[in-house]
Amino acid sequence: MKHFVIIAILVVASTFAIHAGLEGIGLLPVQASTQAISIDQLFGLYTWAIAFVFSLIIVIMLYALVVFRRRKGETGDGAHIEGNSTLEIAWTIVPLLAVLYLAYLGAHSLAETRRIDPSALVVKVIAGQWYWQFQYPDQGISSTELYLPIGQQIDFQMTSKDVIHSFFVPEFRLKQDIVPGRTVDLRVTPDKLGTYTVECAQLCGANHAYMTAKVHVVAQADFDAWVQSQKSLAAQDPALLGEQLATQYGCAVCHSTDGSKKVGPTWAGLYGSQVELNDGSKVTADVTYLTNSIVNPNLQIVNGFQPNVMPQTFGQILEQNQIDALVAYIESLK
Amino acid sequence: MKKILSVSLVRGLLWEIIGSGVGVAFVVLVRLLMRLPAWKAEPAVVVGALFGALFFLGGTGVMDAWFQWATGNETGEPEPFVEGVTGWRRYLSVSFDHKVIGVQYLALSLLLFTIGGTFALIFRTELAQPGLQFLTPIEYNTLMSLHGIVMIIGILIGISAFMNYLVPMMIGASDMAFPRLNAFSFWIAVPAGIILLSSLAFGGFDTGWTGYPPLSVRAPLGMQMFFLGVSLASFSSILSALNLLVSVVRLRAKGMTPFRLPIFVWAAIATSIISLTATQLIGLAFQMTMLERLLGMGFFDPLKGGNPVLFEHLFWFYSHPAVYVFVLPGLGIISELLPVFARKPLYGYKWVAMSSLGIALTGFLVWGHHMFASGMAEYLRVPFMYSTLLVAVPTGVKFFSWTATIWRGKISFPTPMLFVLGGIVIFLLGGLSGPPNATVSTDLLLNNTYYIVGHFHDTLFGGYVFPFFAAIFYWFPKMSGKRLNEKLGKTQFWLMFPGLLILTLDMMRVGLLGMRRRVDDYDPALGFQAYHVVMTISGFIIALGALVFFINVWLTLKRGEKVPGNLWESRSPEWQVPSPMPVHNYAKPIEVVGEPYDYGLPGSQYVRFAGEGSND
Amino acid sequence: MTEVKPNALRLGVLIFAALAVLTGVEFAVAIFLNTWPLLALIAVIKAGLVMYYYMHISRLFSADPNPDRESYTYKLATNRLGLWFFLLSDGFIFGGLLVSRINLMGLTRPELNQLLGLAVSSVLLVSSFFANRAETSMALGDRRQALVSVSITILLGLVFLAGVLGVEWRLAPFGPADGVQGAIFYSMTGFHAFHVLTGVIFMTIIARNLWRGRFSTEKHWGVEAAVVYWHFIDVVWIFFYPALYLIGTLH
Repeated sequence: MKHFVIIAILVVASTFAIHAGLEGIGLLPVQASTQAISIDQLFGLYTWAIAFVFSLIIVIMLYALVVFRRRKGETGDGAHIEGNSTLEIAWTIVPLLAVLYLAYLGAHSLAETRRIDPSALVVKVIAGQWYWQFQYPDQGISSTELYLPIGQQIDFQMTSKDVIHSFFVPEFRLKQDIVPGRTVDLRVTPDKLGTYTVECAQLCGANHAYMTAKVHVVAQADFDAWVQSQKSLAAQDPALLGEQLATQYGCAVCHSTDGSKKVGPTWAGLYGSQVELNDGSKVTADVTYLTNSIVNPNLQIVNGFQPNVMPQTFGQILEQNQIDALVAYIESLK
Repeated sequence: MKKILSVSLVRGLLWEIIGSGVGVAFVVLVRLLMRLPAWKAEPAVVVGALFGALFFLGGTGVMDAWFQWATGNETGEPEPFVEGVTGWRRYLSVSFDHKVIGVQYLALSLLLFTIGGTFALIFRTELAQPGLQFLTPIEYNTLMSLHGIVMIIGILIGISAFMNYLVPMMIGASDMAFPRLNAFSFWIAVPAGIILLSSLAFGGFDTGWTGYPPLSVRAPLGMQMFFLGVSLASFSSILSALNLLVSVVRLRAKGMTPFRLPIFVWAAIATSIISLTATQLIGLAFQMTMLERLLGMGFFDPLKGGNPVLFEHLFWFYSHPAVYVFVLPGLGIISELLPVFARKPLYGYKWVAMSSLGIALTGFLVWGHHMFASGMAEYLRVPFMYSTLLVAVPTGVKFFSWTATIWRGKISFPTPMLFVLGGIVIFLLGGLSGPPNATVSTDLLLNNTYYIVGHFHDTLFGGYVFPFFAAIFYWFPKMSGKRLNEKLGKTQFWLMFPGLLILTLDMMRVGLLGMRRRVDDYDPALGFQAYHVVMTISGFIIALGALVFFINVWLTLKRGEKVPGNLWESRSPEWQVPSPMPVHNYAKPIEVVGEPYDYGLPGSQYVRFAGEGSND
Repeated sequence: MTEVKPNALRLGVLIFAALAVLTGVEFAVAIFLNTWPLLALIAVIKAGLVMYYYMHISRLFSADPNPDRESYTYKLATNRLGLWFFLLSDGFIFGGLLVSRINLMGLTRPELNQLLGLAVSSVLLVSSFFANRAETSMALGDRRQALVSVSITILLGLVFLAGVLGVEWRLAPFGPADGVQGAIFYSMTGFHAFHVLTGVIFMTIIARNLWRGRFSTEKHWGVEAAVVYWHFIDVVWIFFYPALYLIGTLH
């Protein structure tokens, strides 16, 4: 009997100690969405449950290993105890009820995260190898950084251009894989100002690690101001816009601006020059040629370069004004 | 020269090279007949590799008896060894003796672990600092992916080692029901492993061991070697399981009723039920993707009306039950060894036996928990959460039983017991870290983070690796007649146990904070670098433990302590005969006359030899 | 020795007649009612008949006449169990293909020639009749009849392969790369045809050994195994035929 008293005390002490330790180091990232509330509550419950069950088993085991160890010179066997049906039934039924309860709580929490607000702000998320693009259809703008107004539910409508990606902001807690060929839906209500990062959470090829984008949760007024600035960006000097786009969409990775040869032809002095194609013909690099090269790269391949390397999807991703801006930028690179 | 060629492995490898050439030539010929350009790398390499594997098998001679039977000749009883092959070379040749095959599986498993572990040490070194120091993205992705699959196959092979070596002995049989099938199951794993590793030479692959399309359809040629290698290895698993189940049904000793089986046999039965059936699904999923790559068949291509999530369903329908294949035998080892070292009956033997079956059967119903974030049908998520959480119940039965088994025992702590106890602690952590993954809403944070990586390294080390070492230390005398060194064994344990604990606790910590898995680089601003340094160091500590193990094995085989008798005073049948185990196991058949785990009951007997007087 | 009643040959004919009738019913149901639960039920009944009367699944559960482990009959029963476990495992591949068909095509079906489908299915059914006749004859000691029946089975198997790979694959209005119907049709028929091919090879080996007098009434495991494997391939087709040809509307 004394065994059980000591064990009970140790289990309780250990449970509290482990729980305190875990809470003390802060297990979770900052909580930044309303959906996170019920999730973090569940995590809190699990921390208690794990601390308790771990303590229960480990304390009893360690106690037994010490108290019932074979001392030096001791011979003979242990007690011949085969089992106890009542105990077996008990330690089957109690865990069964516990897990059913946890599952019930889990279903409840899931339902909380899936509440729909009909006045949600729609943001289209386009994922591709290896970039994020965000479009705000109601505002008529697009961006490579995600700006969100605080306290408003966001309805992310997400598509992929190529392989499976996944939208993940740890502070929001929710994650959603983006499967090509369909539009997937994720609703998040950011409720903490700050700057976070959306990371692709499904291995999507070589540069998966770098497929991230900044997320800014801002006050409504700041969000509106940002929308305005995005609209006017389009009316800015096109070549400047083109330069920004060339960085954002990774053109500079393959096309140099200083004449050096990279994976793709250099842009330096390209505009207006005579280009030799791989079928031997020559064309002038005018606006039509450059536009086609962006939206339909395989149509004309420059001699010495390979087809099927440049992504084929820029025609769908970029707005016409963005394509014009890129061409204007190339023109400026004499 | 003749001596070298008498070794099956050598002949197999030579014929594999020839077969690969034949396969390539075959593809060229077919393409020419179809008026296509003669050379296309992908079909040529795939068919070449496949032919290579088949010719390998033919070259080893493992199918000779079957060919003889097909041509109408009499085939006698399978002989333990090939004529004219002596010494250690016997282990590189075809044998039909389950004990030799078991050791062959063991050696292959340790080799695969060494290779897979080395891959991990390489990329862990890369990950210790942010930025890419010496690996390119495709190299990292390939090494990381191969680490996963090589370790998985290493575990499957290791499990075949245990089950093939132990089960016939434990049921009182002289061998498995189908000795030649047993040998075939081993030998097909060799070219499978070679083809898998050859992916390194064919451009690698960048999908992780899960191989999801559409990414795997666009991946380099190494992807096909992965798909083919796993498909071939799957036959090893399936046929081995078939052999085991038939053997247990048909070859048990007199008096060995189901609830008088050694508990490990129950674990083996539950494992084999899964391996026999579910494994076909990963083969199917991979072969469908191979066909999509080779022939453009649009199973998983949305542009053709295909469904990428279908792949995930097919894949996880095997790959979830597979994890129970990985851990059920090890949990059976724990149940088998605790009574011996506590000198007490296994508490609630029947419940423990049934819990293995319970885990196996429930395990078929939970695969969707790998897909909570995948975009699968919404109505499936909650049912899979319920079924997944339910697995905790039979697993809990085991933990409570183990605790009750040592309560009021008389416990000693040789190395096998240390590994058993360490396994219990680690598996407990692994199991307890499970429910947050099983719950949909919390899993949305955890999925595809390091938390998952920590969870499965705990469950795998606790449910497989530690019991595996316990089993090796325990049965080494039975295999070789010598006992592994205790000091080195304890050193190994005290390196691996803390090393693994620190590694996995670290992983779970950064995962909870949002560190994604399968990334070759991370933003230093996240503040995770210190954790990565610790993880890398822990990995090397575990590797050091493995090195100590190999040194131990080498020294013991050379000049270890001889132990011919029942070293552990076990009641199990195999310990009632001398060590090393005699060739046909039991010269006189055994009969079961009592319960397997009646330690502490004076005068009780589990097995006796036929013809001995009874004690009534 | 496995007990085989003298009227076993007649039973074989009767079961074949039942299967033929059920196939006709199935075809009619497909045309006039087009309801998948009924078609599934018919397939299950056909499969049950084959598994019980042709594959003799009940032998797995009968007691060993001779408990001596070294006796031929003991080993025979052990081999039988091994074969059935193998078929169980193999069945999972076909199950996975069926699940894929349902997931990708739902209640639509590929555009296929119905007469051709009915023809090849009938050929396979008749081949199963002869396979059963072969095994039954051998068990009754009639080696000549067994050899004739095995040969006809092989012939019909080759006709099936020619019908599917030679005719259907050419006539299909779509190729393997043409969308989900191409992927599903060619993979399902391809995996199945591969098994028919291996069945033909197995049967050929048996035919040769039969001809050389290697089997007897007491010892003819090879014949039994080849025939049971053949019936398994037929059972797979019992499910694949409605899945590909009968269930649902055109894609």
